[in-house]
Amino acid sequence: MDLQFTPEQEAFRQEIRTWLAANLDRPWNEEVRDPKHDADSLVEVRRQWQKKLNAAGYLAMGWAPEWGGRGAGEVEDAILQEEFHRADAPQVPNFLGISLLGPALIHHGTEAQRQRFIPKMLECEEIWCQGFSEPGSGSDLASLRTRAEPDGDDFRITGQKVWTTFGPWSNWIFVLARTDMEDRYGGISFFLMPLEQEGVEVRELRQITGEAEFGEVFFDGALAKRENIVGEIGEGWKVAMTLLGYERGGSTLAYPAEYDGYLQGLRAGAEEAGIADRADVREKIGRLVVENEVLRGNGIRTLANFAAGNPPGPESSFEKIGWSEYAQRLTDASHDILGPQAQLTAQSPRARADVDWAYQYLWSRAGTIYSGSSEIQRNIIAKRVLRMPTR
Amino acid sequence: MQFDLDEDRALLKTSTREFLEKESAVADARAVMEETPEGYSKALYHQLGELGYPGILQSEDDGGMGPLAFVAVMHEMGRVAFPGPFLELAVAARALGACEGDVAAAWQAKAAAGEALVVLASAEGTASADPTVPTATFDGTKVTGTKTFVPTGEFADALLVETTAGLVLVERPGAGWNARRLTTIDHTQRFAEITLDDPGALVADPARAADVLADARRCGALGASAAILGLMERALELAIEYTMERQAFGAPLASFQALQHRAADMLGRTESTRSAVYRAGWALETGQDNADYLVSVAKAFAGPAARSVCGEAIQFHGGVGFTWEYEPHIYLKRVKTLELFHGSTRYHTEVAYNALA
Repeated sequence: MDLQFTPEQEAFRQEIRTWLAANLDRPWNEEVRDPKHDADSLVEVRRQWQKKLNAAGYLAMGWAPEWGGRGAGEVEDAILQEEFHRADAPQVPNFLGISLLGPALIHHGTEAQRQRFIPKMLECEEIWCQGFSEPGSGSDLASLRTRAEPDGDDFRITGQKVWTTFGPWSNWIFVLARTDMEDRYGGISFFLMPLEQEGVEVRELRQITGEAEFGEVFFDGALAKRENIVGEIGEGWKVAMTLLGYERGGSTLAYPAEYDGYLQGLRAGAEEAGIADRADVREKIGRLVVENEVLRGNGIRTLANFAAGNPPGPESSFEKIGWSEYAQRLTDASHDILGPQAQLTAQSPRARADVDWAYQYLWSRAGTIYSGSSEIQRNIIAKRVLRMPTR
Repeated sequence: MQFDLDEDRALLKTSTREFLEKESAVADARAVMEETPEGYSKALYHQLGELGYPGILQSEDDGGMGPLAFVAVMHEMGRVAFPGPFLELAVAARALGACEGDVAAAWQAKAAAGEALVVLASAEGTASADPTVPTATFDGTKVTGTKTFVPTGEFADALLVETTAGLVLVERPGAGWNARRLTTIDHTQRFAEITLDDPGALVADPARAADVLADARRCGALGASAAILGLMERALELAIEYTMERQAFGAPLASFQALQHRAADMLGRTESTRSAVYRAGWALETGQDNADYLVSVAKAFAGPAARSVCGEAIQFHGGVGFTWEYEPHIYLKRVKTLELFHGSTRYHTEVAYNALA
């Protein structure tokens, strides 16, 4: 048993810290409170940040050097994400492209597709969104109904996608659509499509946070070119599954590092309010410290398994449930401990400056729904890990 | 990096499991727990002594294997709800090794070899077993005071007593201890209240005692957490096995989503406890700066997590889960008791709060 990072990995952590100190102007929490910003200018900050990361070689570290990465392992990626979250760095605008589509193209794409799409994705010249979920198909994704009808060599797409994160700022979308309406899995194909074309309409969808970070995309006979199908016709489900397998990489240590900051903010708030000597307050915060440290322990175990070349252990299957449900307990507790000041929105007078509790409280409701809801995660654990039978 | 145990410790864990499943399977050990006065098998402890188990927390030079091996052993003992004061004996043997003088050395050797039962007598009163300032005194020759929840205290050969003057070793008087059995819900333990007015030998002055006790509590909390891990792991297995077999409405219980989602949570709690406990053992083994904190995290997490898993194990069994005959209740009871000793959940949660910079 050895849970120590290697000297090389520790050196890499130092390198990241030094780079962040020199390159990150201010934490995202301060950026969003600057009254000069609107939604578009904040996206611009994120775009510039992505370009900086790409130039420094930190953007898609796990990819092979020929695709702009450095072939880094899971541990290095986790260290990078941990330090970025600890420093509260902006999220790159093209996170869906980098974390999902890029690996899928490297895995299943043609050489021409990689050449065409990857450099522009890294440089943020093209921002990608994901066209998977539909109004009638969420957790049961394979029930999707968006149609792809042949038009010569190409296809015409008709249907509706929803919860399209970053849709309003994207210019490309990767879409799952049916080339066969009957075959549940084998009838799905994976298309890359420009959003700026006839027959596509993107509408903003306002979230409970008040932002419109995601949208709805309506297709009405929009053109999808044959050359922009990833994998073969009918292999879309397989490609999507590969891609979703990448969705949970890298966050292993990032969330606990982010939550460390919130916990410190919680204690600072309790001390300022003069309630930090109260047993109930100490117990509540202490409990959250314990749970966060346990999340980190699971993450370290997952990384150790990666590093030793072992298959992911059972701890990795509930990583997502772990951090997403924890975020709800943590932000709930923030309101109990800090009182009404925790509800003050970022721009409000007298809002706490260290953590945007109101936003985090609302945002925590998303984590248990997106990218495999907690219910789906529990189904998977019961069936695949505990081998409980299906009815 | 590597989460798995190295070869020596993995082998120790496997052989411990084989030994315990053969010699102390729950079905057989119940007679010992329920029907013998001391509640554990002296013959088995003697065998464990010959195999070197009670000395496991010694350094490798002294024939021990260190904290991580201790975790592996306690994990296995938890799985069979192993009766008796093994944890306390191993901790006392280590504590005696850090005390001064010939008396301590002699008892240390006997304890580590399993030839004598020595346990710490620390708690006073019944409202908490957490560390506190003792009121028991030592006047240079005699210890005076009342200690509570002394593990297997009635049957101990010697007690390492926490007093205002430091740690004092008291041998069992010829007439036996002035003891009253404190009967708890836990089948596997015999606690006693012991009123002392007996000669003793100072083995650690207050300064040394503080260090010895801090170390003993750290090891006790780690061992208790590992035992809790074993207990919940086995309770989860029992629950899943039962739901796979038991039919209702024409299908195995395990096929109902109402149970599947809760089983997934039970697995999450068990695996999280495993991550936390082994990480803490590794941290102590390798002398990490935050080892104390990680031990507290493990203990603070393990107790409530296991209580929930073991409670659910009873619920999954339905009516038979509430019977004396079925095993889940043994696990719940042991877990609930362990949660209150070796630093309660509240105590270790406070440590975690204080670690927040």
